Amino acid sequence: MTTETDVEPLVPESAYVRRDSFIERDARSRAFALVDEGSGRELLDPFDHLESPWLEQQGVVPEADDGVVIVKGTVAGKATVVIGIEQGFQGGGIGEVSGAKIAAALGLAARDSRAGTPTSAVLLLETGGVRLQEANLGLAAVAEACSGVLELRALQPVIAVIAGGLGSFGGMSIVAGLCSTVVMTREARLGLNGPEVIESEGGIAEFDSGDHALVWSIDGGVQRHALGQADVLVKDDTDEIVGAVRGAVSGEAPAAPASRDLARLRAHLTSLDPSSPPTPAELPALFATPVAPGTTEEAPRPAESASTVESTGRGTAWTTALADTAPNAVESTVIEATMAMHGLSAILLTVVPDAASPYRRARNGEVGLLEGLALAERVTAIVTEDADLEPERKRPIIAVVDLPSQAYGRLEEMVGIHLHLAAAADAYATARTQGHPVVALVVGTALSGGFLAHGLQADQILALNDPDVEIHAMHKPAAARITRRTVAELDELATRIPPLSYDVRDWATLGLCNGLLEVADADHPTADDVATVKEQLRAAVSRARAGDSGLSGRWSVETSGDNRAATRRVWAAMTAQWQ
Amino acid sequence: MQTLEFDFPGDRPAIQRAHVGVVASADLEVLVVPSDGDSASVRIRTSVDGFDDVWRNVLERFFTRYGLTGSIEINDFGATPGVVSIRLLQALDQSTDEPTREVRA
Repeated sequence: MTTETDVEPLVPESAYVRRDSFIERDARSRAFALVDEGSGRELLDPFDHLESPWLEQQGVVPEADDGVVIVKGTVAGKATVVIGIEQGFQGGGIGEVSGAKIAAALGLAARDSRAGTPTSAVLLLETGGVRLQEANLGLAAVAEACSGVLELRALQPVIAVIAGGLGSFGGMSIVAGLCSTVVMTREARLGLNGPEVIESEGGIAEFDSGDHALVWSIDGGVQRHALGQADVLVKDDTDEIVGAVRGAVSGEAPAAPASRDLARLRAHLTSLDPSSPPTPAELPALFATPVAPGTTEEAPRPAESASTVESTGRGTAWTTALADTAPNAVESTVIEATMAMHGLSAILLTVVPDAASPYRRARNGEVGLLEGLALAERVTAIVTEDADLEPERKRPIIAVVDLPSQAYGRLEEMVGIHLHLAAAADAYATARTQGHPVVALVVGTALSGGFLAHGLQADQILALNDPDVEIHAMHKPAAARITRRTVAELDELATRIPPLSYDVRDWATLGLCNGLLEVADADHPTADDVATVKEQLRAAVSRARAGDSGLSGRWSVETSGDNRAATRRVWAAMTAQWQ
Repeated sequence: MQTLEFDFPGDRPAIQRAHVGVVASADLEVLVVPSDGDSASVRIRTSVDGFDDVWRNVLERFFTRYGLTGSIEINDFGATPGVVSIRLLQALDQSTDEPTREVRA
């Protein structure tokens, strides 16, 4: 394909053969290679035995460092923590412990940066995303990593290095989208949904994962760089990657990180016709062409007709029932309404199905390109409008959640859906840290990346106690397929391993649930149901205002009991070893 | 997954900790920690069940030849006997050399 043939050879062959390959290094070797010689010290090393508490009981061999290597040292003389994900172990999947190591390292770097020791972070991302053997705790850990990147990024550069061979996919691609700088090689890949996942969800016509030229033309480092989604393109050469990281650590953080540049993401969407998508080769030129002012408000957006909201499932039903006035369609697939609360107009935001959406892979309520961006735009607008208000006057934001997943599509990956979901996660987390009470209300399904973008950055998460409420990292048949189990085996494991369970009552024991709400009819809420949920939302908003706007409450003893004991051990050990 | 435990007598004590390898497909990690006593105490967690005899043979040959003692932990993800032997040799080199600052090449 074009990306292979148009690119000149990067170095003469002899030099290429002689280079010190970064890709061939394991995570530990990569991490030590990046820090100044002799400055690196590994924290929570294999001899600390902070391994996954969940794998052995499923018959899966753990690794002593749970697949994440933390090296604290200096880069170009500046305090830096390098966080390396080992792609060989469980496909770089993020579990409770490995995710907590990432979040704790980022959190402590932010603490030091605030205390006068500027400390940047480098993430070596080679990962398939959430480790499905730890499912809901992996998802929670990735949400906490997102929050950690945002906290540190406001103070110091956070650099993602995606060198390959695996690449960065799943929830960790959202993490990549949040970083100040993304460094990639031409061998590396970056995307929300891996090609195999899209093929299994959407068929081989949607994405032929065996067509490597196609895969790299969409996810590859050369293309991501051409689209402006990777900032630096480097050779697979240790010296060159070290140089790129030194430059990024020493440099100023960019004024507008990619996940905050909503005008740019909107212009990109406006520049293309989803019913007749461009080829990957055409996309860089399309993205580079400035969109005339004024057209950005219209092109792919639905016309006025969409302002009447049809009843499409629980998201719409609950939003309509809770709202004071009829919901307004921000897009045909995103509705907004207000609900009076404590003398303020709380904002309800909901992603809903639209069988006629031009984005055909996002017609069933999935969070896709348009949905991620629209949520980001609305939340950002609310934060901006309320910026000068006293904290107690900032409007609560309520994410009503009933979504089957993120959108699995070739067009979505081509455009860079990881950035659109990162934009939504960024906006919700920013609202939270700016003092807006952010509450997620799960009324139906809340799966995977869709939930990371719309829900998991909330201060408080409430869920209906209903058999059709399902919160998970992936739907059951796919989770079974990927972990090479039958659905029956998965069901059996879920009875004794809470993070694997699809039952919302088990999910509620993981520390993420601030209220499991009893209702009579989850599909068609009764007047009593609405009164109950409104009361609970008010209480959640009050708790959010009283809290510290961080996510650490999710792994406290009070909220999670023993289910997140390992997370607490990681934070305690990391804090003890940090200095 | 199967857990196996073995003890082998020896006379060449590990003098420092060593860690080599990754729990990746067809690979394994080996952790060596110095301990008192004149034997190697080996604990293996392997993803492949039913190869008790193969493990015993591979380990017996290694520990009989090199006499390494200490506490040894192996997390295996389907490594062949050849790979197991190479990782054990790397761990031997690291754990019985003079201490060096650079842990990893």
